[in-house]
Amino acid sequence: MTLAIEMKGMTRYFASTGVLANDHVDFSVETGEVHALVGENGAGKTTLMNILYGLIKPDAGEIFIDSQKVRIGHPDDAIKHGIGMVHQHFKLVPSFTVAQNILLGMEPNKMGFLNQQKENELVDELAKKYNLPVDPAARIVDLPVGMQQRVEILKVLERNAKILVLDEPTAVLTPQEVSELITVIRNLSKLGYTIIFITHKLIEVMTVADRVSVMRGGEMVGTKKVSETSIPELAKMMVGREVLLRVNKKKIERGEPVLEVKDISVADVNGLAAISHVSFNVHKGEIVAIAGVSGNGQTELVEAISGMNELDGGQILFRGKSINEASVGDRRDMGMAHIPEDRMVVGLNLQTTLDENLIVSRYNHSEFSRYGFLLMKTINEFAAKVVKAFSISAAHPGEGISMLSGGNLQKVVVGRELSGDPSFVIANQPTRGLDVGSIEFVHKTLIEERDKGAGVLLVSVELDEVMALADRILVLYRGRIQGELKAATATEEEVGILMAGGTTEDLKQYQKDSKQDARQEATS
Amino acid sequence: MKSKQLRKLLDSILVPVLAILSGLVVMGILIVILKKPLFESYAILFSKGFGCEAYGNCIFITALERATPLILTGLSAVVAFRSGMFSIGQEGQYLLGAAIAAYLGYAIHLPPILHPLVLMLAAMLVGAGYGWLPGILKVKLGVNELLATIMLNSIAALIIEYLVQFPMRGDRSTTAHSPVIDESAQLMSFLPGSKWGVGFVIAVLAVIVVYIYLWRTKAGYEQRMAGQSKRFALFGGIRSDSAAIRAMIISGALAGLAGAIEVMGVHRRIMTGFSVGLGFDGLTSAILGQTHPIGVFIVAILFSGLKLGAQLGLQLKLEIPRELGGTIIGFIILFVAAGKLYEENIARVRDWFARRQGSKLKGESR
Amino acid sequence: MEGFFSVFTVELLNSGIRLATPILLAALGGALCNQAGVLNLALESKMLLGAFVGILAAFYLGNSYGGLLVAMVAGGLLGLLFAFLYHKYKVDLVILAIAFNLIIVELTVFVMRAMFGNVGSWSDPSIVRIPDVEIPLIKDIPFLGPILSGYNVIVYISWLVTIVMFIVLYKMRGGRHLRAVGENKSAAETVGINAVLLQTLALVISGALAGLGGAFLSIGHLKLFTRNMSNGRGWIAIAAAMFGVNHPVGVFLASLFFGFADAFSVRIQNVTDLPPNLVKLLPNVATLLVLVVIALRGKVALSMARRRFRSQLHAEETAAATEK
Repeated sequence: MTLAIEMKGMTRYFASTGVLANDHVDFSVETGEVHALVGENGAGKTTLMNILYGLIKPDAGEIFIDSQKVRIGHPDDAIKHGIGMVHQHFKLVPSFTVAQNILLGMEPNKMGFLNQQKENELVDELAKKYNLPVDPAARIVDLPVGMQQRVEILKVLERNAKILVLDEPTAVLTPQEVSELITVIRNLSKLGYTIIFITHKLIEVMTVADRVSVMRGGEMVGTKKVSETSIPELAKMMVGREVLLRVNKKKIERGEPVLEVKDISVADVNGLAAISHVSFNVHKGEIVAIAGVSGNGQTELVEAISGMNELDGGQILFRGKSINEASVGDRRDMGMAHIPEDRMVVGLNLQTTLDENLIVSRYNHSEFSRYGFLLMKTINEFAAKVVKAFSISAAHPGEGISMLSGGNLQKVVVGRELSGDPSFVIANQPTRGLDVGSIEFVHKTLIEERDKGAGVLLVSVELDEVMALADRILVLYRGRIQGELKAATATEEEVGILMAGGTTEDLKQYQKDSKQDARQEATS
Repeated sequence: MKSKQLRKLLDSILVPVLAILSGLVVMGILIVILKKPLFESYAILFSKGFGCEAYGNCIFITALERATPLILTGLSAVVAFRSGMFSIGQEGQYLLGAAIAAYLGYAIHLPPILHPLVLMLAAMLVGAGYGWLPGILKVKLGVNELLATIMLNSIAALIIEYLVQFPMRGDRSTTAHSPVIDESAQLMSFLPGSKWGVGFVIAVLAVIVVYIYLWRTKAGYEQRMAGQSKRFALFGGIRSDSAAIRAMIISGALAGLAGAIEVMGVHRRIMTGFSVGLGFDGLTSAILGQTHPIGVFIVAILFSGLKLGAQLGLQLKLEIPRELGGTIIGFIILFVAAGKLYEENIARVRDWFARRQGSKLKGESR
Repeated sequence: MEGFFSVFTVELLNSGIRLATPILLAALGGALCNQAGVLNLALESKMLLGAFVGILAAFYLGNSYGGLLVAMVAGGLLGLLFAFLYHKYKVDLVILAIAFNLIIVELTVFVMRAMFGNVGSWSDPSIVRIPDVEIPLIKDIPFLGPILSGYNVIVYISWLVTIVMFIVLYKMRGGRHLRAVGENKSAAETVGINAVLLQTLALVISGALAGLGGAFLSIGHLKLFTRNMSNGRGWIAIAAAMFGVNHPVGVFLASLFFGFADAFSVRIQNVTDLPPNLVKLLPNVATLLVLVVIALRGKVALSMARRRFRSQLHAEETAAATEK
């Protein structure tokens, strides 16, 4: 087997954050294989691939392509060596057509004049050649995400790439789109293309990859043949210890409903339904999880409940009272806490001090201000208290927070939101981008809140997290509640069916089938 | 802890200080091009801008007098910027504030003390209204506040010209001006022959009040959070729209007050050509003063001295056009904007020192 | 009342088109920068520089066309400096514009006084105003002839630039690349398009156009230079670019609107006895109103979409209710 890529001793240190993102990483990929590169957030996968693609310059290390030593200082070099990258955030021009995007930078032209007709024909041909149908004249903004990704893949193929790097390609796709993508990858692999597939979802690794390399904390932990490894083994390599799949959770009686969402609808900027006719309750002492692929209305739902966006229809009751007209501040005063999905821009103000970040939801209360003046001393003491209670290392009252790590920043958010004894907590992707220790901390804290009698609405795209924390699971699909499951009895497959847009009928069918399977197994 | 704070302070003034020095270098280049004596120019600039000729006859006092409206318009810009509104409407608010003060100064007759108070209040109200307009347009409709305030500035300048030429014209002398305001409305000065007086004290008080407002009150907290991150403010329950409008009203009131003080303390009336860009200079002192009240205070005095030195020193003694002063100020702002230039080099120097230190330590450990 | 209506004449159209020209040139430059994703707020200073350098060069070269050329070069160089500061030192473009505004206003007067003594404005009898040109054939078309013909070369250049810019932006490769850079810089860069080069080019061209617009003021329209001669036209040009949604044709129409507002205020001063200072407000008030219209355009689209959604929702509900 020849090696398509060999990277030796790749090292890269980021002085601004003090992170050694790649520490003498060796990585090799055989020609024609599908090679998965896995690791947690911050393990160094993306850095390694960005080095390969010429977006980041390494401090040390050598790269060989087809056994030839090469220098890659710029994406142009990578393209020249036949490397193509499909980025996690697509590099597409939204108002341009599919053809204009695919041919960008290499348009056929006469003296600089363009020929739209010819461009469309070229793209049609390309699409036929790889059996990836697209409409060349459609504008990118009008296309679903899966289709946009297809455009990206065609763009890379048109540039004669032989080695395709796919960075977290499934993160934004629905399960159906994921299975389509897997078919595409298999086809390309058969045609002789080499594919590097970055992900942290191990199930996908097992379905699509030939070999898998695992990174952790900037180092390469090892490379395995998929046929000779298992999900638990890979998980252990990724995390560095046995993974707790279930969090310890005691059984408690749920109380009266704290949040009642009644038939609400919310429009997006184009006047289309982002949330339509959604109803559910959250009771005291329970964690209700909203599962679903991202982009199915989670953001809009959370903004509607927290008061950051208006409702277009329906009603929300909080502790029995309608809060349709209540402002964000009113809702917070009533005991609503909110851990937002974007802690850097929404949840925190990185330009100001820890103290001022900690009082944003309660600066109005008499404990922190009087006669319009802020009580500086009390606020400072409060900050010290929160730092201690939530063991936020490296944070100091009165000082800035911009240098804190992601985990500590999230602790600041959690500390602020939970130190007011809320009766209801919205936690939107509360562990996104965190290391294992911080994830455990957040999970533990949310369960403590529930045990104290608060209602918790957990919105998460991580199925593991949903399964581990929730008492009840609601699946959001295209702005609607696709179905509800009891966490104690639900399986990941069942949630997956709903996430993919399957109906409760499909679910019943599945449950019947699996019961039959079990019975058959039992009888045989 | 103490040394940390000192270091923070030093870090924050490093770029402005280097920018000022760079501006002075540019000035040197221009002077050399004009074939004027270089060192004498610097000496004259500083002695005429900041020096004292004899006891009690200090030009520095004049610099303080000239700085008074600048401090207030600078504070006005600080309050607006710190709410996320890039308003440069200080000039227009200043002019309209001056106009109403000049009018009420001769049109109504009140006892001392009360008369100036009424004038200042009226000017602040008018300025506040002229700040509120672009504020509400921005918040309710999304009208670009930078362009809107530029247009409002031009409109105010034309209104002033109209007022002094027609309804408020005092007599038929060649340059149009309004009648002199009542003695009761004039602000007291501290020294005979100087116009440095009560106005300056008001400006200093304003520096303190604005500082307290921004960093010690709920309203100030709200507008700063809204200015730094709209999403964060919304998430936390801060009404950033009303905070921004409030900031624009306060900003306008401060600029209007500057106009009133300039009329009551210095000119005693308005005349054609009253607008000489004081509002715009306030804006630049806010930028150079790191949008901090104390920074504005220092920079406003510095700018006034520079302009004075250019006018009384360079122009009168060396026949160097006084526009040199404004040019240098422009360059200083440019250098502040290009602060990264210094930061990069400072970082390089620091790294070099750190490396030397490091290698020394290594050497010792061996 | 009769006096009021006597304002509308062919001369008004002529002077509207003339007064629109500097705004149009600068606004086209601004639109080009917006399309390339760099905010060019410094049109005002580039115009003023063009006005000053243009008349100075016309004087020393003894040739006004040479003056135009030098004004364009000066504006272009200022654009280049901008691009350098922006790309190399990540300078805040708004503050940069304010700084340059101040520098150019003061520096032009400084240089003028250093060279010609303590004067408020400067001219020289030897300077020739750019002459008006009648276009053969077109000038004889009834009614349209006098409107389309009889201007100096800068006016025709501004029309030509409008057309060329349209073709380059929407029909040519370089223009498409420029628009791609403006909309998604990293997308353009990953396919090997040199975004820095294109943005620099946009800033340089925009500077040259604004410089030409400025020269129109000092040697095309009048033949003198005064302090702050551009007098806010650069800022109006920014509004014109926004009003014309950065499309050359839209920008052309928007600039004409501002030109007419300007011409109208000049004419009205001649035929009525309204105070000139108040009439001069007209272009500024017009700009303010246009800014409101620009803002409303975005706002209305958004709220309309939402209102449509709500009425649909309501219709569904009533339908469901009647079914029951």
